[in-house]
Amino acid sequence: MKLTGRLERVLTVLVADPAAPHYGYDLMKATRLPSGTLYPMLARLQQEGLVDSEWEDARPDAAGRPPRKYYRLTAEGARVARFELAQVPAARGRTRHVAARPAHGTHGNAW
Amino acid sequence: MVSGTTRPLQRVAERLIHGACRRLPADVRSERCREWTAEVSAILNDESTRPSWLRGLRALAFCAGISRAVRQLRRSALAGSRRSTNSQWRSGAPRTRPSDMAVRICAGLVVWVVVVAGIITVLIAYPDPRGWPFLLVVALGIGFDAYCLADIARASEARYLSRRTWALLCLVQIPLGGILYLCIGRIGPARPLSPNQTRP
Repeated sequence: MKLTGRLERVLTVLVADPAAPHYGYDLMKATRLPSGTLYPMLARLQQEGLVDSEWEDARPDAAGRPPRKYYRLTAEGARVARFELAQVPAARGRTRHVAARPAHGTHGNAW
Repeated sequence: MVSGTTRPLQRVAERLIHGACRRLPADVRSERCREWTAEVSAILNDESTRPSWLRGLRALAFCAGISRAVRQLRRSALAGSRRSTNSQWRSGAPRTRPSDMAVRICAGLVVWVVVVAGIITVLIAYPDPRGWPFLLVVALGIGFDAYCLADIARASEARYLSRRTWALLCLVQIPLGGILYLCIGRIGPARPLSPNQTRP
């Protein structure tokens, strides 16, 4: 799984409370992502088995409101998301490091 | 509660979503349609969005995003079906629905009428034939640019730069940007490939 900035935002929101169900508009507001980005991403996460969706039951108190589809992380998804998010600062630091170090290495080996 | 002004907007948004969902594969179509209609009503009834017209704007932006999402979902569904069964793409030709065809023919006719009317207007406005070569060059430039932009719009991706950057380049550098795009940036329109072709 490639962790892009947008995916990172979605996972951060989902992981904040893994048990809580989120509907699309809720996630759009929380992640500040447009629907055109969010839904394909959710579909991909669902395909990979990291996110689960379910329809809410029609409640009598929700006067005429159509039932919503809720998304939530699966157990596997929560594990992967925590792991990937934990890698983020480390990976950012490492890329800088790696960029600087091979120069030294090649110098040492070549000369 | 639903206020008076959101009702027609909700109908418009629902119609847009229905239209977009028609392009989805049949097995997910009705579920997606129900899901997104529910989201629109959530957006339009969100009391925390102030002023109230912002809700309508958000709902329309949501619909615009949905049509992009549908394109992506469709592409990934097609990629999946291409992997599992190739029989659907044996002909290699992109399928166009009859209603699409009618829309395209109408659009073509409209463009044709506009172009002819434009030429006649220009000829009446500039009866002096010395100005015509210049007009011809301008018309060719505009046509070429339109062709490049249409090509970029249909492509799913471009080489080296993003599609948006290529489009900007085409607009800023009228002949050069387009020529550059066609020479090095163009991958091709996003169409289902026939099975004997390889992915670019």
